Amino acid sequence: MTDILDSDVRRLHDEIDALRRRLAEREEAMCAKERQLERYAADLRETYKRERERTIELRGSYMATVRALSNAVEARDAYTGKHAERVAAYGLALARETGSALAQDPQIEFGFLLHDIGKVAIPDAILFKPHQLSEDERRLMQRHPIIGWEILREVDFLGEAKHVVRSHHERWDGDGYPDGLAGPAIPYAARVFAVADALDALTTTRPYRQAHGWVEARRIIQEEAATQFDPAVVAALARIDDTELARIRAAIS
Amino acid sequence: MIADDDPFIRKLIATTLADVAEYALHEAADGVEALVLAAQLEPAIVFLDIDMPRMDGIETCRSLRTLDATRDGTIVMLTAGAEREREAIAAGADLFLTKPFSPLELLRLVDELHSQLAAAGPGH
Repeated sequence: MTDILDSDVRRLHDEIDALRRRLAEREEAMCAKERQLERYAADLRETYKRERERTIELRGSYMATVRALSNAVEARDAYTGKHAERVAAYGLALARETGSALAQDPQIEFGFLLHDIGKVAIPDAILFKPHQLSEDERRLMQRHPIIGWEILREVDFLGEAKHVVRSHHERWDGDGYPDGLAGPAIPYAARVFAVADALDALTTTRPYRQAHGWVEARRIIQEEAATQFDPAVVAALARIDDTELARIRAAIS
Repeated sequence: MIADDDPFIRKLIATTLADVAEYALHEAADGVEALVLAAQLEPAIVFLDIDMPRMDGIETCRSLRTLDATRDGTIVMLTAGAEREREAIAAGADLFLTKPFSPLELLRLVDELHSQLAAAGPGH
């Protein structure tokens, strides 16, 4: 009787030992897997951080390139100076004031900086003509939004910016060019641009007149609300302080 | 703060997030520890596993929301499936990640929260 029990007990002992060994092996294998997974996590983290850095660098490169292009266009005309940059700054202030998502979109700043790029195709004689342009000359000048649009058409990263380039001379009442768009059909960024552009033009000294003050400039723009400009954008301008406008002008000159 | 009863998951999350954004990382092994630590640390973000011994994620979340330290902070619940997500939100969780969670989702979430808090200004 005891012989049979003894051999059973020994068998059970052996089985338990075998199971213990298997368990130990499994635990070791598990540890090895965990360590490997840890490495994956660490590598993923580092890859993520690198990608994040590259994206920031890339955005910086785009902005620097666009600024260079913008400066190239402006270099021909001594009087424009930092016009595009100031208009971009006024435009962003307006966009923020209207609560538009535009304010966060770098593409829009690109559009504001490049709005007159089409002028590279306009001959000096017309661009700098001191007196009234002839019918033909005016028609050529008014092609610069479309020329600009054509120049930038293949540049994907500019996205919505191209609409500013094409539509920045449209008028709220539909009397603008090149497409005669009216009201909300005009891309929002272009409507904001129109006001920002007028603001800078009026408050800068030109060869034919002195710069207006902020109050006078606002009055002139207000007169054109619903004709030339989107009344909502003009209303947004009214909500921005002179001090902020002056700060922008002082910062970019 | 990372609260999960599985030490390996805690380690994995900590490794994934190590100096990705300017946060110090702390770990808790269950809900009770989480409450004690939260009161001391005032964590900006708390990750809670939904299944923990002693006090589960849902109960811990409710309790965290009663503490000054974590009333307004962000709580992310690590859920096992869609059925408990509504429960998590009802308990006061802001967001949830379904296990097995995507480490990329985890990274993007932390980065997004960090920039939101930074934009909100100092003192946050």
